[in-house]
Amino acid sequence: MIVVKNISKRFNMHNAVDNISFTVGQGENVVFLGTSGSGKTTLLKMINRLIEPDCGEILIDGRSIVDQRPEHLRRGIGYVFQNNGLFPHYTIEENIAIVPRLLGWNRDRIAPRVISLMEKLRLPPAQYLNAYPNELSGGQQQRVGIARALAADPPVLLMDEPFGALDPITRASVKKDFKELDELRSKTIILVTHDVQEAFELADRIFLMDGGRIIQEGKPEDMFDRPATQYVKDFFEGQRYIFDHFKNSQH
Amino acid sequence: MDQRQSLWEFMQQQSGKLLQQTIQHIGLTFISLLIAVLIGLPLGIYIARNKKAAGIVLGAAGVLQTIPSIALLGFLIPVLGIGPVPAIAALFLYALLPVIRNTYTGINGVDPGVKEAALAMGMTATQRLFRVDLVLAFPVIMAGIRTATVINVGVGTLAAYIAAGGLGEFIFGGIALNNTNMILAGAIPAALLAILLDFLLSLVQRTGSRKRKMVLGLLPLVMLFFSSFYVMPIGNTRLLAGFTPEFMGRRDGDIGLRSVYGLTIRTVVISDAVMYKAIYDHKLDVISGYSTDGRLQAYDLVTLEDDKKIFPPYYAAPVVRSEVLRNYPELAPVLNKLAGRINDSIMTLLNYRAEYLNQPPDRIARDFLESAGLYHPPRNGKKGLIRLGSKIFPEQYILTDMYAMLIRGFTDLEVDSKTGLGGTKICFEALVHQQIDMYPEYTGTALLAILQPPPALTDRLAGSRDSVYRYVSDRFDREYGLTWLDPIGFNNAYALMMRRSQAEQSGIRTISDLTHYLKNQK
Ligand SMILES: Nc1ncnc2c1ncn2[C@@H]1O[C@H](COP(=O)(O)OP(=O)(O)OP(=O)(O)O)[C@@H](O)[C@H]1O
Ligand SMILES: [Mg+2]
Repeated sequence: MIVVKNISKRFNMHNAVDNISFTVGQGENVVFLGTSGSGKTTLLKMINRLIEPDCGEILIDGRSIVDQRPEHLRRGIGYVFQNNGLFPHYTIEENIAIVPRLLGWNRDRIAPRVISLMEKLRLPPAQYLNAYPNELSGGQQQRVGIARALAADPPVLLMDEPFGALDPITRASVKKDFKELDELRSKTIILVTHDVQEAFELADRIFLMDGGRIIQEGKPEDMFDRPATQYVKDFFEGQRYIFDHFKNSQH
Repeated sequence: MDQRQSLWEFMQQQSGKLLQQTIQHIGLTFISLLIAVLIGLPLGIYIARNKKAAGIVLGAAGVLQTIPSIALLGFLIPVLGIGPVPAIAALFLYALLPVIRNTYTGINGVDPGVKEAALAMGMTATQRLFRVDLVLAFPVIMAGIRTATVINVGVGTLAAYIAAGGLGEFIFGGIALNNTNMILAGAIPAALLAILLDFLLSLVQRTGSRKRKMVLGLLPLVMLFFSSFYVMPIGNTRLLAGFTPEFMGRRDGDIGLRSVYGLTIRTVVISDAVMYKAIYDHKLDVISGYSTDGRLQAYDLVTLEDDKKIFPPYYAAPVVRSEVLRNYPELAPVLNKLAGRINDSIMTLLNYRAEYLNQPPDRIARDFLESAGLYHPPRNGKKGLIRLGSKIFPEQYILTDMYAMLIRGFTDLEVDSKTGLGGTKICFEALVHQQIDMYPEYTGTALLAILQPPPALTDRLAGSRDSVYRYVSDRFDREYGLTWLDPIGFNNAYALMMRRSQAEQSGIRTISDLTHYLKNQK
């Protein structure tokens, strides 16, 4: 369980994140939805201490994140970057194996783990195990980024617009394979996006952000049925059909 | 008449020395490079993390870089003396900036997304440094090391000025001696060395990312290996001689000392600018000085008698383009006003004021002319322009200033001084190519460094002041259209010098005494 209490972050007199609190339950998938600059990335990076908040507190499973060394904290949290952040000098195999190596897994454990993840994410190992990131397409790179975040089977996964940089068709295909991962069952996932459809597809609960604050939280349908403010109403205006389409296709 | 050797013959004949100098040069380059990498790499890594320190460190290293190399050596000599230590220190300081700056730029240039990802995966700062930052910055860091290497090979030639060896010995000897083969024998290997090292390092720079960490680890070891090439010229005598590059290659120098006297002494090559101080500080025991040098008395040195007469007379006189003398008939009598006026002791005193008391040459020149009743205020005439040249040491500056004042005071001609034209070769070439109209030259130098007649003829002339003067003025006139005016009076001869105390203790009065003394030491 992740508990975030009253955290804020200012950059040059500007509140990127402004007194945010929320709780994410064990195994829950939440999506932070907001326009560009609303503070989503800043919020996400504070959870694994890439950014230190100015004030407030974050607890993971009851333990404050500042009570442990940042690198130990981070090895237990998978992180997927918007623009993949793969190591250009590492092969695909080495990229995926980064965290397991840092955790001191032995080879016999790492190799099958890498191969099984690659298979699940539809990256034929025979072809790509020893390839370098620049030899892969954008969609494939993003698959590697996801595999890398999952490699050590962390209980928490932070995802910063993981499909944002992809064209619609590639995005749909990567997203599909992602959703089918059995790995995700028990994970607590916080995903950030500005894509309403994506939020509907992946969220148990949505947090709508604007100007560093949470404007409304709730189940996807709450956003239409009980918009808290005019902003929320405007934000989802005209998106209803997507939601309905998505709901229908699910049933 | 032309019995000059080809470059190839020269290099073959001098192959032993050439090999030694090349090896020393590689050694010097790599010792200083190694230190620069061991210090510059961590410093570059440090400032890549501390942006505040970056400005200061890069600024300081940048300032060091702008100091002219000769000046840097000059600053280091009072602190570190002569020999390999100040040479290595200077090269190290030059190599530092490229290494620091490229390490800094290289690490900063690594994709911030990749750096952040490394942290997000749970790497510590050190793990990120070695697994990501250094590996990805490697090509840029290697480019810095390449630059530093090429700089070091180039600046390393100056080591010859302060008794640290290297290919500069041939280069500066050749420049001073008007010996193109000798210059090339030093310059070509130095250039090839720079090109070769640059090429090899460009291969290293292209190392694939998998082997980079290994290469970074191995590089210092390889450098250490090459550093070990540097061994000081070792001899078997207790006394240490410091000779100028020019002296090393002259018949009236090291060659004559060996062949005529059979003198074998442990020798380093050094610039005359620092030589006197070095012998005074007991860093050297024997030097090749000039008999009118002003520091002789100040440093309490004695000249050893040249009992077998290898040093010809070196009477100074102005050498002027004959055409200029024809165009301005009033010029020769004015320049000759100085003829016979300055004897050895006066010249030594004038040099003393310049070299030891650091008085400006023009003041010394004017004081002398006034006391000799030869000073007239400038007439500011505009009739024509006489361009005066001088070699790069105080005695020449003083003489040139005297001639400038005489011309301005007694004729309507205007004067342009181009002082500090390096050694004999540069002055002489400038004169022959009509870049200057006159400069003061010495009979012995003209004989042995410029005309280079067959040894038998030299031996016949050597003893006599007048026959050397007649021989050089005759050949200058016929072959180059240059006129030797009347000698000024003093004889600035080459001489071997020792500290008075040591010479007296060891009973050394002549060069032959020195030879015997060294033989008995063994
Ligand atoms: N390191 C920083 N220094 C200064 N300002 C920053 C920094 N990081 C973020 N900001 C500012 O904080 C605000 C929130 O940024 P953040 O990156 O969290 O937004 P975002 O919601 O992730 O936007 P996007 O959808 O474009 O990624 C923006 O106004 C941004 O300019
Ligand atoms: Mg963002």
